[in-house]
Amino acid sequence: MRFVLKTNYGQDVNLFLHGGQRFWYGLLLAVVLLAPLVLDTFYLGEFALVFIWAVAGTGLMILVGYTGLVSLGHAAFLAIGAYAHTYFLTRGVPFVLSVPLATLFCAVVGYAVGMPALRMTGIYFAIATLAFERISAFVIEHWEGVTGGHFGIRVPDATVLGVNIDGPVGFYYICFGVLAVSLLATMNLLRSPTGRAFIAVRDSEVSAESMGINLARTKCTAFALSAAFTGLAGSLFAHKIGYLAPDAFTVQTSIQLLLMVVVGGLGSLQGIVYGAIFLGLLPQAIAFARDVLPQRIAEIPGLEPGIFGLILILFLVFEPLGIHGRWVKIRTWFDEFPLYRKATYKRQRSYLRTERVR
Amino acid sequence: MTTAAATAIPGAESAVGAVLFEANGLSVSFGGIKAVRDVSFTIRPGEVFSIIGPNGAGKTTVFNLVSRFYDAETGTMAYEGNDITSVPTHRIAALGIARTFQNTELFEHETVLTNLLIGHHVHRHTNLATDLLFLPRARGQELEFRRKAEDVIDLLDLQRYREQPIGSLPYGARKMVEIARALCLEPKLLLLDEPSSGLNPEETEDLSFWIEDIVADLGVTVAMVEHDMNLVATVSDRVMAMADGAEVATGEPAEIQQHPDVLRAYLGH
Repeated sequence: MRFVLKTNYGQDVNLFLHGGQRFWYGLLLAVVLLAPLVLDTFYLGEFALVFIWAVAGTGLMILVGYTGLVSLGHAAFLAIGAYAHTYFLTRGVPFVLSVPLATLFCAVVGYAVGMPALRMTGIYFAIATLAFERISAFVIEHWEGVTGGHFGIRVPDATVLGVNIDGPVGFYYICFGVLAVSLLATMNLLRSPTGRAFIAVRDSEVSAESMGINLARTKCTAFALSAAFTGLAGSLFAHKIGYLAPDAFTVQTSIQLLLMVVVGGLGSLQGIVYGAIFLGLLPQAIAFARDVLPQRIAEIPGLEPGIFGLILILFLVFEPLGIHGRWVKIRTWFDEFPLYRKATYKRQRSYLRTERVR
Repeated sequence: MTTAAATAIPGAESAVGAVLFEANGLSVSFGGIKAVRDVSFTIRPGEVFSIIGPNGAGKTTVFNLVSRFYDAETGTMAYEGNDITSVPTHRIAALGIARTFQNTELFEHETVLTNLLIGHHVHRHTNLATDLLFLPRARGQELEFRRKAEDVIDLLDLQRYREQPIGSLPYGARKMVEIARALCLEPKLLLLDEPSSGLNPEETEDLSFWIEDIVADLGVTVAMVEHDMNLVATVSDRVMAMADGAEVATGEPAEIQQHPDVLRAYLGH
């Protein structure tokens, strides 16, 4: 077991707790940066998609995992980011400017939608976001001048500093760079008052308010930030799919995004990445399994959604804290061996909650 | 607006001069139940003011009115001479009024330290942009909050719980963490809602020392709702007894304990 000797308060503020963490995350960074040297371009494309899902997951994690609000409409922000980015690109705005513009646009839309929607709580808020998703899908289908309607719109090639990013290697690095920046920004958020206010709202609204946190504004900020990150992912996603059409962004996309953060582990940044790997690579893994499995099983229709659903149910029943939660338990077991107490992470029902004042 | 409130207070009490908080004719009802009826009281700076009464007397409701969780139907509240009857709930903390809850309302999934850091929220001077980039100003603020949180940890002897998630703490420790979190606001007025409920006799005795320390060392004025008469008698300067939503009597602890109306409210007649 590792004991960290703390000699100044800066150690509680820094991103990494000890040298071991710095080493392992540094190694991971090196592996990811050097991967294009050995990986096939097909896999680079798949990993770029994982990175894009992770950026979107960052947005959803801020909302669901840290602020405790469930949104069923985040495919709308993915779509708005993608269409806005494409619109700016076709108007001749360079890539490096177009991506932040699309992100900012999503944040503004998020704030505007959040203000009325966040007056509702729980399932009603989720339904409001679902309604927003349908409305934005309708607008995208019918605003032909901008979105190309049902026919869709081609995403123009883009260059960053003279390098065409639509090549697999360039795109891989762009996506990874955006993910790294997103995760860093979220980590910063969580070690400062803004992020802690989100957590406070999630755990106890009554208490948060008595600590001087403005509930309405904090929730709107969280929703706008969440929309911004998802829109940022959308602008990259546009390049990934190359051609935008309304059927690329459906309610199912929203639900997949939600599944991603739940399977990864709510309330952890590592969970975002685990969830994105799950969401991005599972279809490939199933396709690969089809080739190996006996023909009779491989030919079952609907195998993919079936396996997807099965894994989700297993997670909800056996590991509600997701992949990250399982990893934390395994690590604690090794840390405390042979003194690990099975009850450490047992979910306990607390009977002593204050009668809520509203 | 303050003069109007001040003149309505009975002469003897306003003559003291120094008044931190005054409530004047507060009433609130839920459906047909009059939870609080025409309650008036003042809290003087540096004192411990207790509200006692049988279950359902409306003590916690008074606290919820003061912390603006409920809107008073009639009456006014003034704090440091300013009318606060209709300020938004989240502004109360910034004014310097902190509170704890009857059965603790902590941020369950977070560590004690994070809970205390959230307590500093009203003192933030960064915004979303500085936080996202963690600019030097944000770092400096974090170090300051961290240092101040440690001061409170030292004061209330919470060192061994510092890194533990709230979910794993014993109940007595949670009560203390909640008081610590309220102190992180650096309040002038601290509202404690049944601080001793769920504590054993030793913990309750410790609590009386903490309350005396908080008043003496930090200069915080304490108002508390409490059932434990021993604790009330030990630490309070003045006590208000309530029954059925109305004030029964206000005075020194010994006086209130012997007051015939108070005895009638508790024992019935």
